[in-house]
Amino acid sequence: MDITKVIVTKDLCKTYGSGPLRVEALKKVNLVVDKGDYISIIGPSGSGKSTLLNLIGCLDTPTSGKLYIEGIDVSTLKENQLAKIRRDKIGFIFQKYNLIPTLTAIENVALAMGFAGVERKKRIARAEELLELVGLSHRLHHKPSELSGGEQQRVAIARALANNPSIILGDEPTGNIDTSSGNIIMEILEDINKKGNTVIVVTHDPTIAKRAKRMIRIQDGVVREQHVEG
Amino acid sequence: MLRDNLNLAFKNIRERLSRSILTLLGVAIGIMAIVSLIAIGEGMNVAVTEELSSLSDTILVNVGDGFSIFSIGSVKESGEYLTERDISDIERIPGVKEVTTQLTGKGILQYRNSNVSVTLTGMDSETMKLRYSSENLESGSLLQENDRNKIVIGAKIAHDYFDTEITVGERVKINGNKFIVAGIFEKQGIGGVISTDDIVLLLPRDFEEIIGEKNIYSATVTVYDINNVESIALEIERIINENHGEDDFASTTTVSSILKRIQRVLDIIQTVLVAIASIALVVASIGIMNTMLTSVMERTREIGIMKAIGATNKDVMIIFILEGMLLSIVGGVIGTLLGIFGSKGLIAALTSIVLSYNVDLQPVVSLISVVLAVGVSIIVGVLSSLYPAWKAAKMSPIEAVRYE
Repeated sequence: MDITKVIVTKDLCKTYGSGPLRVEALKKVNLVVDKGDYISIIGPSGSGKSTLLNLIGCLDTPTSGKLYIEGIDVSTLKENQLAKIRRDKIGFIFQKYNLIPTLTAIENVALAMGFAGVERKKRIARAEELLELVGLSHRLHHKPSELSGGEQQRVAIARALANNPSIILGDEPTGNIDTSSGNIIMEILEDINKKGNTVIVVTHDPTIAKRAKRMIRIQDGVVREQHVEG
Repeated sequence: MLRDNLNLAFKNIRERLSRSILTLLGVAIGIMAIVSLIAIGEGMNVAVTEELSSLSDTILVNVGDGFSIFSIGSVKESGEYLTERDISDIERIPGVKEVTTQLTGKGILQYRNSNVSVTLTGMDSETMKLRYSSENLESGSLLQENDRNKIVIGAKIAHDYFDTEITVGERVKINGNKFIVAGIFEKQGIGGVISTDDIVLLLPRDFEEIIGEKNIYSATVTVYDINNVESIALEIERIINENHGEDDFASTTTVSSILKRIQRVLDIIQTVLVAIASIALVVASIGIMNTMLTSVMERTREIGIMKAIGATNKDVMIIFILEGMLLSIVGGVIGTLLGIFGSKGLIAALTSIVLSYNVDLQPVVSLISVVLAVGVSIIVGVLSSLYPAWKAAKMSPIEAVRYE
């Protein structure tokens, strides 16, 4: 397996429910993502774009088909092995930030490294570094409730980067924040991409989608490559 | 990581402070009950041991079945008594330090023209001092060696037997002979080894004058070496039974064997009490489980987030178990402290209400019971948060993240 192809899907299917309630969210998706790619996934709501992102992010398991992350067949992995893939290889950014409300910004970022067993001093130092990178060095000890939406999302990005994953996934990362803050978020993600990380962003905002190097459209669970204009 | 998990647990407990306090209060009450009951039980044990250990070189020799803690001081009228020969034989056994005798007989006590049948107990002033102290008297004094025609009577005889109460210094008649009441025992109620409520105590010389003979009902033998108490007791029994040609004419009881029996009874009582108190702890652990389950429910999303950023099932379980443990440890420590102080109050109440007999009862809190209490609370915390933690751990990350 070619390691430059960080994500490969083969006839990836996901169905929910059974019998007459059966919903095919993804139908035989075949996708190859190269290292350093910057991809946007667009499509109407309910088209299966989030389902695809959750599968790639190892939050969910496929019904059939294969999914390789950096050459590892994750479709056969057990729950705890999936947790380790999520921890080491993937950084997930959610539309609703999903920070732990009781922890401060720096603690939220350090928590992810804690699961990876990084020692405390190093964790704190790196969390500080990452928050500085996203421009939040003045907000280290603030709780999520004391931060704006854009700031919370930047903490979430810092957290996603904590364990140095090669793949960064964003599920409508700008969906809950105003345009100018959204621009900052996208710029940060693009910077990360320039440093060599693979970035995949789900969005329904065409202007954000067009910033990517590749654009993928999903409709009724079927994936179609879209040409990025200009 | 432990430090961060503790930090997280601590923050979550603080986040739901009132609920957390109520939960740990449950543990605290359970642990308090156990600690204080153990402390009181130990205290009773120590008090009894102190009371009786000064008599551990003592053997009681009785005619008949002998001394039982359930028929304290009761006198069986077998009609047969120990003889002078028995006493001198006992005195001759190697290791015996001293033999004192107690005479027993029936007599008629007359006071202001009414008569009551009583049991007379004769003993010399030395034995009397050994068995009773003037602290046991509500008024008057014990008898002196040279006293003549004087008696000491029990509280019931003084207050209940006659229409008018007898006071110290008054004259009574026993079998027609005149006596002066020199002292009155205080009411004993429950507690104490030998009841004095119905006693009529007099000196051997007076006893012989009234009864006409020396009815030696029991003898008290002291030995030099405490270690030989049991073997000398057996030897005494053998010699007396041989003298009288009967297998069970007399029996001996050592104070240490009485002590052992009392301690066994106390142990049983304590075990039962602690078992009952443990029910409180079971209820408390259900409380922890309930709180933790609610916490897991409320934090479904948080659990999903943690799993999404790479927490394994084990990581999640540890976080919740640690939280339950922290609750129960804090509860356990508070409960232990409450138990230590609570047992003092409980003992004060107990001694003033139940035990009129003057015993110096102090709760004894041993290090072991403290370690045990905190240990039990840790176990309770872990056990009762296992199921909630497992429930949290097995959540699917995608469903948990979607949870609103």
